[in-house]
Amino acid sequence: MMKTTEKILRHSNTVRIIHWSVAISGMLLLFSGIGQMPMYKRYNVVLLPGLYWVSDYNITLVIHLIAGAVFGAAILYHIVYHLMQKEFSAMPRSGDVSESIIIIKAMLTGKEEPPHGKFLAEQRLAYAAMGLTSLVLLLTGLIKVYKNTGIVILQPEFMTATTLIHTIATPIFLFLFVAHLGAFVIKENWPLFPTMFSGYVNKKYADHRHPLWNYKEKK
Amino acid sequence: MKIKRRTFLQGMVAAGTAAALTNKVDRATADVSDSSYATLIDLTKCDGCPDQDTPACVMACRAENEHKYPEPDPAMLKPYWPQTKFEDWSNKRDVTNRLTPYNWIFVQKVNVEVDGEMVETNIPRRCMHCDNPPCVKLCPFGANVKMKEGPVYINPDICFGGAKCRDVCPWSVPQRQAGVGIYTKLDPIPAGGGVMYQCDMCKDRLAEGKVPACIEECPQEAMVIGTRSEIFAKAEELRQQYNGYIYGDKQMGGTGTLYVSQIPFEKIDEAIVSKADDPEKAMRVHDTPYNVIDNTSHWSSAALLAPVAGAIGAFAATVAVKKRNKQEDAHDENN
Ligand code: HEM
Ligand code: SF4
Ligand code: SF4
Ligand code: SF4
Repeated sequence: MMKTTEKILRHSNTVRIIHWSVAISGMLLLFSGIGQMPMYKRYNVVLLPGLYWVSDYNITLVIHLIAGAVFGAAILYHIVYHLMQKEFSAMPRSGDVSESIIIIKAMLTGKEEPPHGKFLAEQRLAYAAMGLTSLVLLLTGLIKVYKNTGIVILQPEFMTATTLIHTIATPIFLFLFVAHLGAFVIKENWPLFPTMFSGYVNKKYADHRHPLWNYKEKK
Repeated sequence: MKIKRRTFLQGMVAAGTAAALTNKVDRATADVSDSSYATLIDLTKCDGCPDQDTPACVMACRAENEHKYPEPDPAMLKPYWPQTKFEDWSNKRDVTNRLTPYNWIFVQKVNVEVDGEMVETNIPRRCMHCDNPPCVKLCPFGANVKMKEGPVYINPDICFGGAKCRDVCPWSVPQRQAGVGIYTKLDPIPAGGGVMYQCDMCKDRLAEGKVPACIEECPQEAMVIGTRSEIFAKAEELRQQYNGYIYGDKQMGGTGTLYVSQIPFEKIDEAIVSKADDPEKAMRVHDTPYNVIDNTSHWSSAALLAPVAGAIGAFAATVAVKKRNKQEDAHDENN
């Protein structure tokens, strides 16, 4: 056996499937959700080659609803699955904010980072922010589809608030999404990128950068 | 509002009963109650007020709502960048032959051929106050609302004037005025385009126990307002009396406005389309106006149920894995 390329499982099949379901449906939701705003016609996106259909509210709504179904199913799967497995390594802990500042400083100055667990402190914070925004979008989205089934008329003030929250959460989601991708511009994070595809990471890298990650404990 | 709000639970029960009665999910009656307001417009009685320059209903609406009309900021009357146009009706306030931000009802006049004879038909047109209105349900700002009591109205303080409501309304009812509303506060950021205006069923008059202005002023008593059950019964009675037709009960999945006519609506529709300068933009009485919300409701239901499926799936998968691990452990011990 070649010791140097020994790999450790970082993300199980389930985790990867859920991650990509959320990521792909999230992108579709962003694109179709912005399409539900009267923007693509106004800002001439419809004039781009092949995109003549993007100002059709009927089409973008159907895309939004299908992607919303995948997004909702994946998020609930994620929550129930990790609760039942008692896996909370991505949840933020006290001290994560100050630790994140130290990590960012270390990255900028090229100094040694503090030792990490499975996730970096800033990853845990990003997870919380993304998770919370996703839950807000999901919850308000579900209220929207509920009223669209036509079986109820909800209070106008309640619907106005729900709609505004859904709309305002969208740029926040977009920002976090871009920031998440932006993290992979930083060289230190490169080894983590392929793990969401293959599931595995080099043992050498893990032992060096994530010494607090107890990967043997759980299969 | 005079009409009592029904509780959520009653609404669900009523929805279930309505669905059971009609043997299909009839969205028309599912989300508005029998005690919501509805209106009836009798095309046999309406004569278009031939003695007046402007029909009485139109005049009444204008007088009633004048104080709500937009007063645009002249500096904001400029193209919606990057587009080169903007919608300004402020110097065309006296237009009464179509819907505008300053004219919420108009009377269509068409000649329809019936048994070789031309019959003049007058059709007062305004918002239908649909039961499952796409203009309301798709407003990205929640500015457009449907009240349980029936009226659909647009809150001018929240409306951005993106005109999505007009795009999804098969009759293009909401009308845009530039230079007013919340978008002017964002200037010079190029977003929004004004405020949308339309008939609100005189909801403030209804709250005071009065009937809508247009209905009150009609000399022919061609229009009536009442509870939904009253109006639907009355429309059916008139239909039988005239051996005629109803429009607005089924279209769009149901609306709060029932037209009753002796002439088939297909014929009226043909006349409207053939008279129009641009048939694409004609305000029709076609049998199949397209309701985005009704036509995507099965996807809405799927999106509503998917999270439950996800949770059950995760539960089942975890239990299955645990069981398998247990079996494997037992197997290991046996060896
Ligand atoms: C990443 C997640 C999401 C983003 C970024 C997003 C974004 C948006 C945006 C920008 C709009 C147009 C503005 C508005 O109507 O409020 C919209 C509309 C809508 N969204 Fe989402 N959304 C997301 C998730 C969901 C989910 C999970 C559902 C349902 C399960 C949903 C249901 C809807 C519906 C039905 C509309 C159309 C308007 C309506 O019927 O009220 N959204 N979304
Ligand atoms: S509805 Fe009444 S007021 Fe309006 S045009 Fe007809 S007759 Fe005149
Ligand atoms: S007629 Fe048009 S504007 Fe009026 S409720 Fe129906 S869809 Fe909305
Ligand atoms: S109900 Fe009121 S707002 Fe609507 S057309 Fe009649 S007068 Fe105008």
